[in-house]
Amino acid sequence: MSQWMTLLQKEILEMWRNFKWIWVPITFILLGVKEPLSSYYLPQILDAVGGLPEGAVIKLPTPTAAEVLITGLGQYTTLGVLIIVLTTMGIISGERKSGVAAMILVKPVSFQSFVSAKWAGSVLLMWFSFFIGYLSTWYYTGLLFDWIPFIQFLQSFFFYALWLTVILTVTIFFSSSFVNSGMAGFLSLVVVIVLSLVSSTLSNWLEWSPAQLTNYANEVLLDNGIPEDTLPASLIAAVFINVLLSLSVFIFRKKELAQ
Amino acid sequence: MDTLANYLPIIAPILIIQLILLIVAIFDLVRIEKTNGPKWLWVIIILFINIIGPILYFVIGRKSN
Repeated sequence: MSQWMTLLQKEILEMWRNFKWIWVPITFILLGVKEPLSSYYLPQILDAVGGLPEGAVIKLPTPTAAEVLITGLGQYTTLGVLIIVLTTMGIISGERKSGVAAMILVKPVSFQSFVSAKWAGSVLLMWFSFFIGYLSTWYYTGLLFDWIPFIQFLQSFFFYALWLTVILTVTIFFSSSFVNSGMAGFLSLVVVIVLSLVSSTLSNWLEWSPAQLTNYANEVLLDNGIPEDTLPASLIAAVFINVLLSLSVFIFRKKELAQ
Repeated sequence: MDTLANYLPIIAPILIIQLILLIVAIFDLVRIEKTNGPKWLWVIIILFINIIGPILYFVIGRKSN
């Protein structure tokens, strides 16, 4: 266990060295505040840009606070996912390419703790960044529109974070399967997009799909309470994460021993 | 001027973190040995492309080793 903690600390230290602890949270904050600000100032922005004929009146319905938060969260499923995949795709394949992995694994470090420490490090970074970013979305929405109860904020945060963790684990799985990190990133994006597309089109049959967690988070924000299917979806997400992690340890061991 | 004072408490924090992002990116660019592509190009990208520039640098500009 203490060895695992050392590996995790090394991981966290490395993320300090390449400034991930600074730029990923800041990026998530900027992503998060964009939505409340732009929907609040839309009339002024239209005015400033101009180009409207004299006397044109545009009536824009003011969105409710929940709607703003939901669109704000939507940013994390597109650009946020892209950032998560791009930052984690090289996490194992890069070390294998540069030979750092071989150097560490010469010591009595198990493959399992090597991979899981890397996973835990990136999960910590992702949860921290997403929390900070979403908190700023919530704060700005409260400031400019209405305050959403903090408990609903926390609930929707957990559902979303769980789905983002699934995405992160998929990326780590591909990162341990391929030496080429670009390939790993591309495949993870494909898998994530297919998963969300299939789950949203067949949403009646796939209520338990982890990709549905984002919809359940939206339901919570709309004050509809926590949907029943959240529990199976979360459980399946947890199982999925575990299976993928064990698989990536298995593949990583095989590839590393083959070299 | 009056309207600007109204907006300032809302916009200022965003400008500040944007500035932090820019400074960190430049700081890292100065320290790092090699980047993907020429360094001077990254200086221009970071300084002149708002928000996206520094993020692009961190995501694709850095060479990990």
